[in-house]
Amino acid sequence: MTLPSATLLAQSALSGIFIGSLYGLLGLGLSLSWGLLHVINLAHFAFAFLAAYLCYQLASVGGVDPLLTLVLIVPLFAALGIAVQWLLARFSLSPLNSLLATFGLTAIVEAGIQGYWTADFRKLESVYAGEKLRIGGLFVPIPELITLALAVALSFGIYAAMRHTRLGRALRALAEDAPIAAAFGINAQAHALAIAGVSGALAGIAGVCLALSFTLTPSSIYAWVGVVFAAVMLGGLGSALGPLFAGAAIGVSEAVTMAVASPSWAPIVSFTLLIALLLLRPGRT
Amino acid sequence: MLEVRGLCVRYGAAPALWNVSLTIGDGELVSLVGPNGAGKTTLVNAIAGVHKPASGQMTIDGRDLMALPAHRFCESGIALVPEGRRLFARMSVRENLEIGAYRVAARIEREAAIEGVCALFPAVRDKLDHPAASLSGGQQQMVAIGRALMAKPRLLLLDEPSLGLSPLMVHAMFGAIRDVHAAGTAVLLVEQNVAMALDIADRAYLLEEGRIVAKGAASDVRDHPDLRRAYLGATEQ
Repeated sequence: MTLPSATLLAQSALSGIFIGSLYGLLGLGLSLSWGLLHVINLAHFAFAFLAAYLCYQLASVGGVDPLLTLVLIVPLFAALGIAVQWLLARFSLSPLNSLLATFGLTAIVEAGIQGYWTADFRKLESVYAGEKLRIGGLFVPIPELITLALAVALSFGIYAAMRHTRLGRALRALAEDAPIAAAFGINAQAHALAIAGVSGALAGIAGVCLALSFTLTPSSIYAWVGVVFAAVMLGGLGSALGPLFAGAAIGVSEAVTMAVASPSWAPIVSFTLLIALLLLRPGRT
Repeated sequence: MLEVRGLCVRYGAAPALWNVSLTIGDGELVSLVGPNGAGKTTLVNAIAGVHKPASGQMTIDGRDLMALPAHRFCESGIALVPEGRRLFARMSVRENLEIGAYRVAARIEREAAIEGVCALFPAVRDKLDHPAASLSGGQQQMVAIGRALMAKPRLLLLDEPSLGLSPLMVHAMFGAIRDVHAAGTAVLLVEQNVAMALDIADRAYLLEEGRIVAKGAASDVRDHPDLRRAYLGATEQ
């Protein structure tokens, strides 16, 4: 095994941060819904892919700028998130049962995508796709840079809102002890719908980022589940910044492993890292 | 002010309260005593909206509470200091107090209310920016009472405020309850410390196995034969 050059290592680390920011962006909505609503929303991935296909459709066929599709996708997926939460709330599911129910929903969405767009590969050829910045010896692709910027802005924005707004305080109180929070006038149902709406909108945004950088197939929904769950658990449930940093750590460890050893080693290294950190980290859930 | 009539509460199929009736007048301090498992916490939680009763009537100033969702009980001026304090452990003391003043009506005077809590419990002032979980049991109890007072309640429900506290802290806690009552707030006090609870109260109810078995002036309840029987001599002679 020969050691790769410094430039290759730096380029690998950079691409690791880029992919990690998408892990973080996908994980952000998942973490909020899991930590604050106690709903493990597997359908988050399906919604992200649905948004990605929708973005592909509007941009490739309709000729709309892919970023402009957010104007439609954000409210649409916020509404979808709210609708699903409203439905799940009827059944007062345990977290594990919510995982099962949303797994079913994922299969339905996957089948719907396959029915409409077929199982063929779809790749959005946008104006951004070929663009690259060159900084020093490193290439910085524009779609990935957009993803990173969105992930950082949204994670920090939500973090600040959770800490410093009345709504954020109410949500944290509900997550800790919902009946007591309600006794002080906080409407648990309305806040749950609000979180679900934000989470749905985040799935939509992550979907647009997916469409910008990745080739889409219906079954690749599941390829993201393991690593994004890892980022969410590592980052701490309900945490806004956790998934971003954990996602970046996983992304970099994967990318560097691919450069130093071989791509097949990447999951082993990143999941070993996850297990080690979960074992060593004291006192967090 | 508060009128509870024929209240029945169940946990699943298991009944916890049968046909309980209780009234609290404006500014009155009423103690609710009874042995462990009598249903005291269940009754207080039902009045706070935390646990939904199976049947019965609850009104406050003639306004029906039974039809309201949990988060609207506090609009009527009811605030709860729950058993075991149940602070939001990962939030700061200040944030806990701010949740107390979540209601729009209470929110306007929030800063003055925090100042009021610090005046009542000086130990809280230095801890405002600490996580609630880092406080001692007595300090946490102060914050739990402070959080409820932030809501500017007309009826304060206190569930076991002296539980697990040192004798000195219990004394301070009863002093604070007296102050709150003296300022015109009605109080429903649930206490294991029967002697102190009856000493401080205007009127009292004795709850046993989910039923009210005695009620009246606090001094009458103290002498009631059922009280001795309920506690098997655990009260002062």
